[in-house]
Amino acid sequence: MSDRLFDILTSSFIKILIPGIKVTIPLTLLSFALSVVIGLLLALVQVADIKVLKQISRFYIWIFRGTPLIVQLFIIFFGLPNIGITLDAFPSAVLAFGLNLGAYNAEVFRSAIIAIPKGQMEAAYMIGLSYPQAMARVILPQSFPVAFPNLFNNLISLLKDTSLASSITVIELFTSAQQIAARTYEPFALYLEAAFIYLIFSTFLTWLQTYLEKKLVWKSKGGSDEEDAGRNKAMIG
Amino acid sequence: MLEVKDVYKTFSSGYVLKGINFRVDKGEVVAVIGPSGQGKTTLLRCMSFLEKADKGTIIFDDYSHDMTSISPVDIKKIRMDMGFVFQNFNLFGNMTAYENVCEGLVTARKMNKADAGKIAKEVLDKVGMLDRADRYPGELSGGQQQRVAIARAIAPNPKVILFDEPTSALDPELTGEVLDVMKKLAHEGTTMVVVTHEMSFARDVAKRVVFVDGGVVVEEGKAKEFFDNPKEERTRQFLKRTMREY
Repeated sequence: MSDRLFDILTSSFIKILIPGIKVTIPLTLLSFALSVVIGLLLALVQVADIKVLKQISRFYIWIFRGTPLIVQLFIIFFGLPNIGITLDAFPSAVLAFGLNLGAYNAEVFRSAIIAIPKGQMEAAYMIGLSYPQAMARVILPQSFPVAFPNLFNNLISLLKDTSLASSITVIELFTSAQQIAARTYEPFALYLEAAFIYLIFSTFLTWLQTYLEKKLVWKSKGGSDEEDAGRNKAMIG
Repeated sequence: MLEVKDVYKTFSSGYVLKGINFRVDKGEVVAVIGPSGQGKTTLLRCMSFLEKADKGTIIFDDYSHDMTSISPVDIKKIRMDMGFVFQNFNLFGNMTAYENVCEGLVTARKMNKADAGKIAKEVLDKVGMLDRADRYPGELSGGQQQRVAIARAIAPNPKVILFDEPTSALDPELTGEVLDVMKKLAHEGTTMVVVTHEMSFARDVAKRVVFVDGGVVVEEGKAKEFFDNPKEERTRQFLKRTMREY
């Protein structure tokens, strides 16, 4: 490796890392938070079988899973101003990623909720709980450990997908790498470096997942762990 | 106390209940016996609205309701006075034994935590599970789980407790501890409806025995008379087949 290239890589590392920490990570976390809220709501109205809301929920999932993320991004940032709604690039990106992933997380939550044995709901009813109480106190707390690995999977995907925000002028990790690559004429090295920084972030998330899963399994070391886990498997298989 | 009249229930596989009548009086222990798949459990589940009957009337606490049109509010009201013990225990997997018992008191009945805790300790002690109050269901044996489930059912002091084959999912050596708890409750005058295959329990503990076959009550009577001198041919056949094991 030439000294020049080495210098470019070391000096650019921080220049790419900083927007990664300041933009990519907040963008990922905010979008993910939004997607979890949306996903949970969409899942709840489906399992509760609330007539119109259920249809709206299915329609939403159909639209957001059925169209490309980058098209959704463009519609929100470049398209909405045409009908008088102008958003900055960063909030546009949060909205697009959040709405999109919400559709996927809805299915994650829905499948986790229906994986809980029916008897749990029946027992909740028989001690006098209402449907919302049973959901909040009994079903959701047991669904969460089931949903967790898939949610985290989506989080790691999202981290990398936020690089699409570069196409709507958000200065994040990948945009910074692009700018430096254009200036130095070293795209190969710079994009490898960007990939490496993404890899550092996602490695951290993978560690975090392993750590949190251990905690969750320990906490839910109740019926849902041994006996019910077998039943869940049977439902999937 | 609790009575259902002329209950019909069809599943896609066919009729399960064909105009069944059933009642239990205050302080009475009624055993419901009969071959599998003939409607015993369905009867219990219709009485507690876990299944919706196609037709029928329920009289609970002197209030009569049509079972097909009863409102969710009335269902909840009845359930507040009704305990249910499931074949598969159905303890809440995310809660300890203690929390399982408190849940119905605190969340459903808005009791304060201290009072609920006192009751929870009392009933867990009664079923012999106080020393394992902080265990999760997954850490307990089947018999222990069922005893906690019974504690959960009796904690709100319901007017009647329905038992749906409470020992059927247990290993034979674990049924005794559950039956002992149920006997204790029976002797205290708890109103109980017990769907069971435990003939000795039906004979020795129940006051009255109801024999269900083909979706109707074929025969019923005082426990001793029922077993010593069954009137119907079908009952005699059933008893002959099952009592051989004892």
